[in-house]
Amino acid sequence: MKRVVSPCNTTGPYFPREFSDGNEDLTRRDGATARGEHIILAGRVLELEAKPTWNMVLEIWQADANGVYRHPLDPRSAEVDPGFWNWGRARTNQDGWYRFRTVLPGGNLRIPHINCAVLGIGLTRRLVTTIFFAGNMGAAPDPVLDCVVDPELRRRLIARRDPSLDADGAAGYGFDVILRGEGETPFFVD
Amino acid sequence: MKSYEYSPYDDRTQTLRQIDKYNASFRRVPASPLIPRPITLSESTGPVELPRRWNAGKLDLSRVAENGPRAVGQLIRVSGRVTDEDGSPAAGVVMEIWQANAAGKYVHAMDDHAAPLDPNFIGQGRLVTDEDGRYEAFTIKPGAYPVLYSGWWWRPPHIHFSILGLSWMNRFITQIFFPGEPLNETDLLLNGVPSGSLGNDVRERLIFEHGDTVMGDLSYINFRRDFVLRGHRRTPELA
Ligand SMILES: [Fe+2]
Repeated sequence: MKRVVSPCNTTGPYFPREFSDGNEDLTRRDGATARGEHIILAGRVLELEAKPTWNMVLEIWQADANGVYRHPLDPRSAEVDPGFWNWGRARTNQDGWYRFRTVLPGGNLRIPHINCAVLGIGLTRRLVTTIFFAGNMGAAPDPVLDCVVDPELRRRLIARRDPSLDADGAAGYGFDVILRGEGETPFFVD
Repeated sequence: MKSYEYSPYDDRTQTLRQIDKYNASFRRVPASPLIPRPITLSESTGPVELPRRWNAGKLDLSRVAENGPRAVGQLIRVSGRVTDEDGSPAAGVVMEIWQANAAGKYVHAMDDHAAPLDPNFIGQGRLVTDEDGRYEAFTIKPGAYPVLYSGWWWRPPHIHFSILGLSWMNRFITQIFFPGEPLNETDLLLNGVPSGSLGNDVRERLIFEHGDTVMGDLSYINFRRDFVLRGHRRTPELA
């Protein structure tokens, strides 16, 4: 018989920083450096009235630069980049800023994208969204992006090139997460 | 590797997204409806190498150093089993645990509660479930603490659990409470459950079961809580 899924609840304010710190950089693994174009993915997590949030947790999961996931369900998993983690976690500072160092993902039958989850105070359940990249939208349809019909909402799922975020040879891309209020980020059913 | 199917969480089995008087939920939960989307390879894969990345294994939160002095408080052992919806074990997944000390104080820069820290207690750590999906950790029973900013209420003793899961789709976070605590009756988060009998089930499943007591070289009280992660085996298609 099918079991009933356990109830989620909020992380609360005290999600340990030690659980996040050190996981914002996906590009260095076991002494190797990730292949592909290194990028900085950064932005602010804002609540109602564009107020910054502090200690919100962002988790990301993405393919490597060649579109491969380190996971047994990916038939190409043996080819995965040994220098890349695929998964990362960051937290917002007092001004609401988060920052990842990662690579521009490859496609794997989808428009290149990064899965993103937001956890923290006020959220009894995580919020999930998908981040795409301006200049890297490809021609292929994307089954998830296609669910977002309104062009304005689609635009909000696209990280934009922002040279002010460049660091250590990595190209900066800005993506603000607006939890609620004007310019609200589209989130998906979870 | 099993191929899983993931249904959206059934709201009747989950804590409400917005809870009366829990002000932050009205500032942070999106006003627009969530958008349905299909699950592709991207969402049905997830981080499976975190045990190695974090070198996680066994966990004893009741002291800082192996064989060091125990933290102040009632020594307890929390344990249980993590499965999928079919009851198959979620083996080798990372569980992160964090909690307040016996005085209700977290080792965290944002905790302004004027309660003492305990040099023998850090209150956070990671473990990995065994091949049967089981977890266990010694710790001390946490104290209650006041919420100083959003709503001014006292949180009953509770332990936070985060399970990294088998895929992106069944990553799981919750907090589990202790049976019989008077403050359980007024906690916004424990009581932020759907109305009706299913809501009662949700509430029950956020509370530890009081297990047996152990007397010996090490004396402690057991508390148990099993977790069911989202995900069930794909139903074979009929020809
Ligand atoms: Fe807490």
